[in-house]
Amino acid sequence: MSNSKLWSVVGALVGVIVFFAGIIWIGGQINPDLQLDETAALRFVFVGIGLLAVFVLYWLTKENDAWEVGTRQVVYMAIGAALYAVFSYLFNGTVFVVPSVSQVSLRPAIALPMFFGYVFGPVVGFFTGAVGNMFGDALTGFGLSPQWSIGNGLVGLISGMAALYVDKKKGLNTVLIVSAVLAAIATILWFLNPSQSNMMFFDPGAGIFGDATISAFAGLSAVVGFVLVLAVRYGFASDMDIAAAVTWAMLGNFIGIGFAAVSDIWINGFPPTVAIVGEFLPAAGPNMIFAAILVPILVRAWMSLQRQTGR
Amino acid sequence: MLVSWRYRSRRSLIQAFDPSAWLIFYASFIASTLFFWDLRILAVFMLVAIIIVVTSGVMWSESRRAWLFIGGFIIFFAVLTFLTGRGGVEVYTQEHVIRTLKAPFTLFGWRPTVDVTVERILFALSQMARVFALASTTILIPYSLNPAHYGVAFRRLGLPDKIAYAMDLTMRFIPTFGRDFQLTLDAQKARGYELDKLQGGLIEQVRKLAPLVVPVTVHALAGSEDIIDAMDLRAFGTGPRTWLIELHYQTRDYILIAIGVIVFLTSMAASLLGLGQFWVPQTLLRIFGF
Repeated sequence: MSNSKLWSVVGALVGVIVFFAGIIWIGGQINPDLQLDETAALRFVFVGIGLLAVFVLYWLTKENDAWEVGTRQVVYMAIGAALYAVFSYLFNGTVFVVPSVSQVSLRPAIALPMFFGYVFGPVVGFFTGAVGNMFGDALTGFGLSPQWSIGNGLVGLISGMAALYVDKKKGLNTVLIVSAVLAAIATILWFLNPSQSNMMFFDPGAGIFGDATISAFAGLSAVVGFVLVLAVRYGFASDMDIAAAVTWAMLGNFIGIGFAAVSDIWINGFPPTVAIVGEFLPAAGPNMIFAAILVPILVRAWMSLQRQTGR
Repeated sequence: MLVSWRYRSRRSLIQAFDPSAWLIFYASFIASTLFFWDLRILAVFMLVAIIIVVTSGVMWSESRRAWLFIGGFIIFFAVLTFLTGRGGVEVYTQEHVIRTLKAPFTLFGWRPTVDVTVERILFALSQMARVFALASTTILIPYSLNPAHYGVAFRRLGLPDKIAYAMDLTMRFIPTFGRDFQLTLDAQKARGYELDKLQGGLIEQVRKLAPLVVPVTVHALAGSEDIIDAMDLRAFGTGPRTWLIELHYQTRDYILIAIGVIVFLTSMAASLLGLGQFWVPQTLLRIFGF
């Protein structure tokens, strides 16, 4: 990317953030009673912040081939996003009603940005998560949550960061340690706030609208997921693709869903414990279970297909 | 084989505009709706949505399934929110009870009770108006935007060639993969697979989803080789892309874009000034004796 183009992108991103931050500040001056949850503008601020983070990540590693976008990547981006949209729509709890287990609903779609990110790189992963989530929301017809789309995009992007390393084994331990710390922090917060509501669990038939106390399984799901990923990491130590795919997917999941949940501290005015225990844990924890099981199966299937087609 | 959306050329308000102008208006309309909970304002958005739907030329017979799905969902959630009083608690804090309905029976000592309140009625109506405005305009997109215009429309919105083409392909793939999913589900059902009756714990249930997720994904990737070859043979990505169809804004497109932007900015300003929040008419409260 040429320097002038680069500065145009940075300038535009900073401009968007400053514009919305200014509006919120000015809005606060005009109307002191302005509640943060009464404005949708903050959603777009976090879209700007998320995109800025993506750009910084790109800028720091831009020499790497992982960022290259050719014909193949364009087609995989479209396939990933379309599949994610279709699976999100089908498994959003309305088309196929699969009973939830211990407040955890089956949402297998999250495995797609992880898989596409790891196999085809960070750009494909980001597009799959962000655009797929956007189209999935649109298909359901219930509006858009742009900061959650960016969060899903980050899941795919971070999963694809493995492509930055020629040696897949490199950096895996660091990724595991960072993920362990994040899982531990969230779980400790749950131990300190066990009566917090599970804001991601809706069961209209039972009159539950995100207000049921979080179950022990959902509270411990990040740890359960981490242990599962650890088991896959070392159980498939000889198959570095599977080990690296699930490990990077775990970090992507923690950072991407964490970004979206933490943004609700400002967007919806949630206290940090509510955002982390009520939103992050019940969303990110179960995702780890899908990652640990479905991502390795998809990676294996893709490798078989590669061998058959010779591509 | 690509399956297409049910688009066809119609004499309609939507198709009278340039697709990118329409997408800008649509995005502004959606974003503006999200700023409000005031039924009076939401009624205006709903009215605009109804006008768009009525003038869209989309027949009931071709969009029936989509409307029934969304309609059922809107009514189901609005009624449940009304009955339980939950969902609106972030929007209002005080409730004026009109009547308390008690069931003539008890369940294990608990008597089902519903508080009919002014706030619950208004919130249910506001929710219906809001979701209708969002959902109805979204439903129309695949019926009204020509698939041949997707790519060029996204390009005209300022996206780079490759991203615009990826968005184009994404929209084209969605109905195809929906069809593939259904075929795979039917094939697996013929082998005794029952999605509705997954047994076992969570891990076992996730594992049992693999016979659906994996074939659909791998089939999509296997089929992609033909598309990649076709694009490479046409030298995709080697230079600035040209599009077979050229779209040009006309005066009416500029007017539509201006209306969309003005509505969005006005809505944002109103929201920041604290206007458009949940509304309870004093007259209604007086009628019920509060």
